[in-house]
Amino acid sequence: MSRNYVLARVGVTLVMALAATLVVFLVAHFIPVDPVQAQLGDLASSKPEIVARYRAHWGLDKPLWEQYLIFLQRLSRGDLGQSIATRRSVLDDIKQYAPATFELATLAILLAFSVGVPLGVLAAIKRDSWLDHLARGTSLVGVAAPTFWLAFIALALFYGGLEIAPSPGRLDAGAAPPPQVTGLYLIDSLAAGDLRTFGNALGHLLLPSIVLAATTTGVITRTTRASMLDTLGQDYIRTARAKGVRERAVLLRHALRNALIPIFTLGGVAYAQLLSGAVMTETIFAFPGMGRYAFQSAVVLDFPAISGMTLVVGLTYLIVNLVVDLSYAAIDPRVVRR
Amino acid sequence: MNRGDGIQRLRVAALILGVASALLFTAWGGGHAIAGAKTILILGTDISDTNSLDPQRQFVYSAPITEHAVYETLVTMTPGNYKDVKPLLATRWETVDNGGALVFHLRPNVKFVTGNPLTADDVKFTFERLKYLKDDASALAENIARVDVIDPLTVKVTLDDKTQPLLPFLIAPNFGIVDSKVVREQGGLSTPDADKNDKATTYLDQRSVGTGPYTLARWSRSTEIELVRNPNYWRQPGAFERVLIRHIPDSATQVLQLKRGDIDAALNLTFDQLNALGGTPAISIVKGQSLDFMYIAFTSSPALSPPLSNKLARQALMYAIDYDGIIKGLIGGDAIRPASFIPVGLGGSTTDLTREFGYRQDLEKARALLSQAGYPNGFSFDLSYGSGADVGGVSYEVVAQKVQADLARVKIQANLKPMEQGNLRTAFRKGDLAATITFWNPDAMDPSLWADPTVQRVAKRVRWEPDPSIVSLVKQANGEPNTQKRDGLYVQFQKLLSDQANLCVLFQPMYSHAIRDSITGYQLTAAGWQADLYDVKPR
Amino acid sequence: MIRAEVEAKAPGRAVVFDTSSAMRRVKRYWLPIAGAGLVAAWVVVMVLGPAIVPYSPTAVDLTARLQPPSATHPFGTDDLGRDVFSRVLMGARLSLPTGFAVVLVGGFVGILIGAVAAYVGGQVEEVLMRTADLVLAFPPLILAMAIAAARGVGVGNAVLSLIIIWWPQYARLSRSLILVQRDQEYVQAAHALGQGSVRTLLRHILPNTGGPIVTLLTLDVGNAIITFSSLSFLGLGAVPPTPEWGAMVSAGRLLIAQWWVSGMPGLAILSVVLAFNFLGDGLRDWLDPRARQR
Repeated sequence: MSRNYVLARVGVTLVMALAATLVVFLVAHFIPVDPVQAQLGDLASSKPEIVARYRAHWGLDKPLWEQYLIFLQRLSRGDLGQSIATRRSVLDDIKQYAPATFELATLAILLAFSVGVPLGVLAAIKRDSWLDHLARGTSLVGVAAPTFWLAFIALALFYGGLEIAPSPGRLDAGAAPPPQVTGLYLIDSLAAGDLRTFGNALGHLLLPSIVLAATTTGVITRTTRASMLDTLGQDYIRTARAKGVRERAVLLRHALRNALIPIFTLGGVAYAQLLSGAVMTETIFAFPGMGRYAFQSAVVLDFPAISGMTLVVGLTYLIVNLVVDLSYAAIDPRVVRR
Repeated sequence: MNRGDGIQRLRVAALILGVASALLFTAWGGGHAIAGAKTILILGTDISDTNSLDPQRQFVYSAPITEHAVYETLVTMTPGNYKDVKPLLATRWETVDNGGALVFHLRPNVKFVTGNPLTADDVKFTFERLKYLKDDASALAENIARVDVIDPLTVKVTLDDKTQPLLPFLIAPNFGIVDSKVVREQGGLSTPDADKNDKATTYLDQRSVGTGPYTLARWSRSTEIELVRNPNYWRQPGAFERVLIRHIPDSATQVLQLKRGDIDAALNLTFDQLNALGGTPAISIVKGQSLDFMYIAFTSSPALSPPLSNKLARQALMYAIDYDGIIKGLIGGDAIRPASFIPVGLGGSTTDLTREFGYRQDLEKARALLSQAGYPNGFSFDLSYGSGADVGGVSYEVVAQKVQADLARVKIQANLKPMEQGNLRTAFRKGDLAATITFWNPDAMDPSLWADPTVQRVAKRVRWEPDPSIVSLVKQANGEPNTQKRDGLYVQFQKLLSDQANLCVLFQPMYSHAIRDSITGYQLTAAGWQADLYDVKPR
Repeated sequence: MIRAEVEAKAPGRAVVFDTSSAMRRVKRYWLPIAGAGLVAAWVVVMVLGPAIVPYSPTAVDLTARLQPPSATHPFGTDDLGRDVFSRVLMGARLSLPTGFAVVLVGGFVGILIGAVAAYVGGQVEEVLMRTADLVLAFPPLILAMAIAAARGVGVGNAVLSLIIIWWPQYARLSRSLILVQRDQEYVQAAHALGQGSVRTLLRHILPNTGGPIVTLLTLDVGNAIITFSSLSFLGLGAVPPTPEWGAMVSAGRLLIAQWWVSGMPGLAILSVVLAFNFLGDGLRDWLDPRARQR
């Protein structure tokens, strides 16, 4: 992978992210929702003065192309505009909600991989055994049950019933967050040397991460199994065995390595999806994250928030997919770029 | 040992270590119920709509409970009585200038949480700031022409239109008096250019400068609002050291937290959840009659729906709906129904009136009216509503399906059209919908705020051109100083409205909050701030 | 091996009909057969629909609200007094085909695009893959709302929205798998022998990459049904009172004491996911020549 390729890819990434915002602008134009009406109370919406002031404040009285130009102008100064619903700069909103989602998503994907891959490998090796059936069965539960179900059942069981999980939310009630450095409570609390808050934040992260991981673990387990089975059937595996390579090395260094590509592909998409937020899990666990923010902005057509979100989410997908694509070459050098 | 083995073992070890430390931290960092030592009051509700705690700006559902606890108004209303205004920061008042102005006498020796004394200047500043910010809430101050300081404890408020009321409006938390000295220091303005140049909101979002029993310590958006006791309060101090209003958007989660004792009150439970909680030890339900209602708006526009534009057809519709079934079946009886568009408890509206001339289910009458209207075989129309939304825990969707079933019995086919809320509001307010199930909640505590909109903006939405005689009746009623006469005029108005059959009020719910036995004194009010936190004490 | 045993028992006699081998195959494939049976059962339910439901799925009766499962109502009643069993049966008519359609069409389109991208490479690959990224990044709700606004609210348009957001995953997956295969020796050999690209793609590459793709397809059916429900929740999909599994699960979510309102349609979704998964696994095993040898 040449440096030029990476640079070109990064460039394309930025352009595509911008393109995404343009598309959103255009597409949202079709939706007959008036953001002012959606936001203003009943009484206020009947006062022309107040409505006019609202429109002027958010530039909604200008034609669409002009609004987009203003958006680009602001963007070049690092300003994502002001959310109509929260009345705060979109950047501040994202600075608050994105770290929460990042912590959740990262923990969830780590869990999913550390459980899913070994389980899938074992299921493939001991094919049709009880272990295989167990792995396939449990992975199905994670995928077949809707996330909000799992979320609530997990909360009711571990928090309500067994009382071993902490209350929903990022921290205990009344606990002050650590001084803001990144917004990631785990990092910030360590940076401030506050182990109590660190434990608090981690404890609150566990259950929602496990719930989010459940679905992804299912997909990763089964994909690993399927991919391993494909790889194990290949000729070069038979060759390696015939050459006397030890079974463990065959499995890990040859089979798993080559099976990793689809696992990484799907894992990457899953991670990016998790990073865009999970609205139901965030709602049930009272975790203020990107999922709810995106959802609520879409419903009231909060243009600045939607554009800002699309930019951030777009960049996330593009970056994650870029990393995954680069990893292919590391895994399997035969995947050569033309 | 080759690399494969090592990596494998490392992986397993890492996994075990990770799980172990996670369990350790969970046990250490979580699971403590704070509600043990009762110096803290914790409420669980959805505060995601709170976008400001600046009292002259906020105009959402969840903020007033906080505002009412940290700012005080000149006058207030007590739960259950929404006609009589009671003194709070003003000890007495009188009408002067032939009804053109109100003079308020302020309570002496009241201090803001900042230590500054309450004076008439602060009242003038607050009222003018509300008016000139021209924000969502400013419509409440429309009828204020000017505010004058007579002396440090006396303030005169001149009305713009003396035929329209003002006094009951002043109980709204938006009229909560702020410390003008501090707000000015923070860039706050009460001059006509305040809408462009006021800069105090950022400060007021994090600190309150009121006279109330509590004061704002911290607001973490969509996480929690923290209040602490105000040591300078002019009455008995608040019963708690801290009050936390915790963001718990999911009502099912609120149930879990309440049961576990992590919150003292859950504010957003659905009727079915409240029912399921009945009988749980240590939990009780507090109920309060609201002034909100769920209603259906039918258009009068022949372009949108020829059948609905026919008054007799609309009346037939309103005779077909099973109101009692909705209230008993979907809300367990926890609701009443006004005769028309003024809620029970205001403007002479009582349940007796409903019995007298309100609609009730009468299928024979409905069928007769349909034939008279020219639709002996019924007709069809589109019924829109906001998906995923509810009033007092009863969702529009469930009510819509029930209404649809009721109407089918007289061969009227209602086609359900759920829409996302932004879409619904836009279309409804533009007057583009044939029939809409929607919601009304008080802008302020005066019947004029129901009667007026009915013949103005709501009439536009249903494309009804009210007869000038009705419009002047409303104006007359709004400005009538004698309460009995006023009520009589409103009753007259409601009869006409009822006959017009554009607005069908389905029910006026009781709101219920579920509380733990760790607290007492919790009362619900319909006046806008849900509950007065000052009243709440540990048991 | 069976053959050896048979030969040992009756040396010299040729085995004409290998019953034990057939039995073994059934025993081995019992899960996929069960899965196929379950799918077939649901299809029958779909077809017979209104003829077999014991109660009207839309008859509102508030006096019979929220009754637990009993002899008269095997799945209980919901918050409008409707029989949940009838609603679940009728719900199959909407939920099954939509879930299936989204995954099949979205998957097919995605696989094709990914294959083309991997095979052709260069600029084409860049454009196609970056378009996939763009679609993944696009807020799905806005897309659904826009399509509904432009073409009207309805199940068809909701399915269209879902197909549009579904294909990029498959494109990325198929591209990554084919990238690996593309440079393998046997492909080069096939080319050397003059075999056309498309033929190579279909006959050699796709069967070798089938595993993870089929797995994802089967797993996704349940996912599609549930995602469709979130559109219904916003009024963009199935319109009430039409029963639809995902919408029923969402609507009953807050009724935590009355678990059957949400639970029964949820189990229906689970059964479909299981059925398709077992089928998919069986399909994989059946198609994979190497697997059969074990």
